[in-house]
Amino acid sequence: MMKKKFTIRNEYGIHARPAGQLVKTASKFKSQVYISKNGKEVNAKSIMGVLMLEAGQNSEVEIRVEGEDEAEALAAINDLIDVRTFDER
Amino acid sequence: MAITKKQKSEQILAGVPASPGIIMGKVFLLSGDVVKVAPRALQESEILEEVEKFRAAVAKAKQDIQKLREKAANSLGEESAQIFQAHQLMLEDDLIIDETVRRIQTEKINADLAFFEIMEKFETSIANFQDEHFKSRAIDLRDVKRRVIHNIQGNLIYLLKIQEPAIIVARELTPSDTVNLNRDKVLGFATDFGGSTSHVAIMARSMKVPSVVGLLQACQSIQTGDWIILDGNEGTLVVHPTPETTKRYQQRLDLFHTFEKKLDKIKNLPARTKDGKDIELSANIEFEREAANVSEMGGDGVGLYRTEYHYLARQKLPDENELFNEYARAVKALKGKPIIFRTADLGGDKLPRSIEMPPEENPFLGMRAIRLFRNQNQDIFKTQLRAIVRASAFGRVRILFPMISCVSEIRYCQNLLKETKDELKQEGVSFSKEIPVGAMIEVPSSAVIADLIAEECDFLSIGTNDLIQYSLAVDRGNEHVAYLYNPFNPAILRMIREIIHKGHQKGVWVGMCGEMASDPLSTMLLIGMSLDEFSVSLVSLLMIKAIIRRVDYSECENLAQKALNFTTTRDVDKYLRSVFSKKFRDIRF
Repeated sequence: MMKKKFTIRNEYGIHARPAGQLVKTASKFKSQVYISKNGKEVNAKSIMGVLMLEAGQNSEVEIRVEGEDEAEALAAINDLIDVRTFDER
Repeated sequence: MAITKKQKSEQILAGVPASPGIIMGKVFLLSGDVVKVAPRALQESEILEEVEKFRAAVAKAKQDIQKLREKAANSLGEESAQIFQAHQLMLEDDLIIDETVRRIQTEKINADLAFFEIMEKFETSIANFQDEHFKSRAIDLRDVKRRVIHNIQGNLIYLLKIQEPAIIVARELTPSDTVNLNRDKVLGFATDFGGSTSHVAIMARSMKVPSVVGLLQACQSIQTGDWIILDGNEGTLVVHPTPETTKRYQQRLDLFHTFEKKLDKIKNLPARTKDGKDIELSANIEFEREAANVSEMGGDGVGLYRTEYHYLARQKLPDENELFNEYARAVKALKGKPIIFRTADLGGDKLPRSIEMPPEENPFLGMRAIRLFRNQNQDIFKTQLRAIVRASAFGRVRILFPMISCVSEIRYCQNLLKETKDELKQEGVSFSKEIPVGAMIEVPSSAVIADLIAEECDFLSIGTNDLIQYSLAVDRGNEHVAYLYNPFNPAILRMIREIIHKGHQKGVWVGMCGEMASDPLSTMLLIGMSLDEFSVSLVSLLMIKAIIRRVDYSECENLAQKALNFTTTRDVDKYLRSVFSKKFRDIRF
């Protein structure tokens, strides 16, 4: 099991479009992927779950992955959230 | 200062005339923007079908979203397209899909209600968020909700709700919308989209209700309950008419009635020119019950029985006996007059729910008509052929195969028909020995080789709507290019002349079942080109007969010769209009 905390830096947070990107990315891997905010944890492969977190700009979230390809999964999500900031400028 | 109540001011909206006639009445606005659902308790036996219906609606929505996504990616860039990826993911999310299915199954409620309530729950949660931007994105949920519910209902719920006679105003009407509505309450149609040959226009003509399409913005300026005048001749809508306007229209209506009364007198007279050339004047029908009207209106038979209805109206495929019973009733109603069954022309804009269809980039160039059946759904085609052949025992049945684009396609149909007859013979089922077979000429390739196609069958029928659309590369429903769609385009006129000529060379008769045959402006032209049979909409039948009976074949030949010499559509149109208005002062078109 691997975990990592992130600060959401893109302008509007994880609204519908970025949530879609996160779900798409998480779904590429066999591992279970969860995202939590303020103690509430949801399945990161469910767009409705992710949206209901209301992870706006500057919110703190934690990604938790568990499974055979957990390292790759976390790396890909790290790339999306921290490096590419959901492809927003 | 005294305040006077102001009457809403009169407003005239211009569109494209789609079905003739003038009607005054109240508006029923069919708005695609408001989602309404009505609770319905399911029987145990209905649950499985309801779940399937829901899954099909979701699958269709995902396909549609995929198209939007590609369009957005091309025109707006990948970032804009990703919002549609989010929409698609919502329709793959267990929290929505599995939950809806679970509620349909356990609570025994209709799919649209179950789905609606689940989406509402999420929308409410989002509406209570702190973050303003998140709140505003509830629109994504509404968009997805509307799309799926629209697919489940097919607008059905609104149309069934029409309690009193009304003029239906909508952005657009799909074939599934129109097949389900309660016709006796519909006074007319007015839509923002579509051209004069869109599905709703053809439907309106078949229902004999006036109709205007291509209004662009009518939905925005009209509300349910408004009093309007719909002028299907001019292609206009008058919203909040003044008393003077109403009076003027009433006078025109009276003129129309007088004209119709006069037409009644020629019902039982033949469609024969003054110099003695007989024309077979038959009618296009869409429903079995219209067959009885054909004789009543003085038609020589049915030149086109559109048979798609059974496949579009319901979830399940029709079975052979169901088709046979309906077909047999239509054949009997004609009492020995011929009836042409066009086999199901599905695909294109007529997508059946009952047949699995892969998404297509260009449906009109894809799995349409017989192509839909040739490789994988042949049993569906054969079931229809069996029903038609069996119905031939009760009268004069002819079969017309649509969308023939090469010789091998008509041969395929002939072979399948022969196989069908052999089977029925072996089973000891009786049917007529004389079932003439025709090919529909509506693809440019078959127009060019009409002589080769004619060698394979007994008659040709020109389907002008598609022939024009395919030849001129114009989508007839696209209001931006609809102006190019015109039967008087010189290329089309030459093509029609050639088809008729090639058919006659091979000794087969040639008819026309497209909209052009119903257009009074074209009648003399087509007689002059030696067209043998006109299949027209019921509402135009007597008017066309009146024209035929008042012209000489020789004079029509001259007119056709002259029309074929013009170089532009506009010149042809102008010429035909000037001849028409001089010769038929009393006929309004």
